[in-house]
Amino acid sequence: MNGTEARLARIRGGAVPRSHNARTIAALASNPGCTRRAVLDAAGADKQRLAAYAGFPAPFGQSRFALTRGNAFEAQVKADGAAELLRLLREHLRLPIPEASYDDLSEVGGNASLELRHARTRSLLARTARSASDAADVAAGSDAASPANDACTASGASPAGGDSPAADIGTMFDHPLLRLEVGGRHAYLEPDLIAFQVCGQFHVIEIKSFAVIDGRADGDKVAAAAIQSAVYVLALRDALAELGVPPAAVADETILVCPENFANRPVAVSLDVRRQLTVLRRQLSRLDRIDDLLDLLPADLTFDLGPDDQGVPRRAPADLAAAIRQIEARYAPECLGTCEMCFFCREEARGCTAAFGREARDDLGGVEQVATVLRLARATPGAGQGPGPDSDPGGDLAEAAELLRTAARLRTESLGQRPESLGAAV
Amino acid sequence: MSESAEMLERRIDRLRAAVREAVVAGDREGARALRSELKSAEHAWEEALARVEGSAPEAVQPGTGERPGRVTPPGPLIPLREQVHQALSLLTVPAAPRLIVTVHEAFFAESFPVARLTSLRRDEERSFRSAPFARPYYICAALAADLLAPARGLLAISTWPMEKRVIGPLSPRVHFLTAAIRVAESIERIPGPDADVRRLLWRFAANIPGATGSAAAMDPRAVAEAAQAELQVHEAADLDVRRAAAQRGRRQLDDAGQLFGSRLQVRQPGGRAARGSGTAS
Repeated sequence: MNGTEARLARIRGGAVPRSHNARTIAALASNPGCTRRAVLDAAGADKQRLAAYAGFPAPFGQSRFALTRGNAFEAQVKADGAAELLRLLREHLRLPIPEASYDDLSEVGGNASLELRHARTRSLLARTARSASDAADVAAGSDAASPANDACTASGASPAGGDSPAADIGTMFDHPLLRLEVGGRHAYLEPDLIAFQVCGQFHVIEIKSFAVIDGRADGDKVAAAAIQSAVYVLALRDALAELGVPPAAVADETILVCPENFANRPVAVSLDVRRQLTVLRRQLSRLDRIDDLLDLLPADLTFDLGPDDQGVPRRAPADLAAAIRQIEARYAPECLGTCEMCFFCREEARGCTAAFGREARDDLGGVEQVATVLRLARATPGAGQGPGPDSDPGGDLAEAAELLRTAARLRTESLGQRPESLGAAV
Repeated sequence: MSESAEMLERRIDRLRAAVREAVVAGDREGARALRSELKSAEHAWEEALARVEGSAPEAVQPGTGERPGRVTPPGPLIPLREQVHQALSLLTVPAAPRLIVTVHEAFFAESFPVARLTSLRRDEERSFRSAPFARPYYICAALAADLLAPARGLLAISTWPMEKRVIGPLSPRVHFLTAAIRVAESIERIPGPDADVRRLLWRFAANIPGATGSAAAMDPRAVAEAAQAELQVHEAADLDVRRAAAQRGRRQLDDAGQLFGSRLQVRQPGGRAARGSGTAS
């Protein structure tokens, strides 16, 4: 693993590594064939900076104000021992009153190192799972006749043992640190909060600052929040599996906390992420291992910008662009919404049918270059000679060429145009 | 009369925008001056409305201490640490800077920016280490019960016993409920609570089950009773944890450590021990 880390560090250059988060993992899983993205994310490169320096600044990125508003809302929800969040959980999950403990995992004894926080998160989760099953066993044993629900509420209201088992069990875990395996490496993930209910399950909680107005919110943003929270559910299930806890201990429904209507009062909404979980699991298992991807790259590849003493980058932008092009990308129109390198890759993919999206590409018979498509559609059979990789329509292209020519003929016949005008129209 | 109220409303909107811009630009002095101007404008607006209603405005609004129509000069009249001490003494529990500022604003009429509190704990620690116990009190940290490290974002008073300065898993909730009771009691002592104070009470009442139906119908006594009811559920368990942690702290930490906590340090390979403010064994 050390070799991989060293190579990734060389690729990243001297910059501070940016860690994976749920958003990047979700984007990577949805486009698994893109080696460029996989390597850049694994190396922790600042894609936004690279794209801007190479001359293709990303069309999105969070504004300072949006970030501030998001942080302010999260601080408000978590203030005073997460008072507002506790109210929401009590209403939404019917959390019993005695379950109100709060553990802050952002630091361990004042030390914020990732390994320490991850270890402490795991130990607190283990203690919670163990204490909860003990409490449930005791309650069930003391009153074997009553159904499970009654036993649970009895144990919740008057904790068995009497010596602060409620504190031992833990209810809210703030800034927990989880790990997920991505492409053969471990990525650290930090969900907003994890809540645990003694007679229920672990719930992943996502706090977002877009508003829910009259019960409805922006569909895209909700979908993004659903996928991101599904990533955290996967990571939590993995962490619990190492402790021997079944995956059913983590709820399929995550909780989204948003401002309601036009005030800043938070509201909790359940998100059913079962579908996202299945898709993510499958996509993550199909990601290539980073080692294998790195083997295909030149050993001296680096995206270091070569800053001088004042931090001003000295590397030529064209040189950086050439280095980026050494890693293969797979551009699709979806990248415009998820990846900071999108304009760079789109420029590179100009003239390829892939830039139109998968459906359009399939409609064009899977031919790779737009120029070839046009040539095949325009030309008569056997006249497709010329320079380029797809110039010879033999073998697998012959069928595509035939289909395209048929389509072109149908089009001209239906529009009553002359065949020669086809090129100009397209 | 209604015209002057409208003009005041426009001025208030302009001042609010100016305060926001000053805060975003990081201009603390300007923001402070603008905030006090805003407060006096809001107060003048209340007076204008009262005149319309036909009732004479009170000479001094209880709870604010400001003379109407006068812009309070920027700059505190008492040192920052004294203001923090006042607010914490009212709450009687460790609190976050934001709550301290809000409490002080509501009950003692003076506001100060939250940012000034971030370095206060560090300054107090330095002052303590250079001359231990030279001052009657220090603004110190609250310690996390497990590792006795300073809890993030909380301030406490050094004269409190250690049991009150450690934080167990249930302590944040217990402190919230205790603070609610103290705030409700303080409000009952004020004859005519103003908007700031009621807003502060709502901040607690909204998140305590059974405290109130709506913001308009808040009764401080009801809030205190509801808070006390939930407090009884958590108190015993929380006290156990805090007592045990306090005993451990008195045994293992030196004076500075007991006030300001000890941090977990990672030993560097090669035997170089990292510096810390005392290590918890």
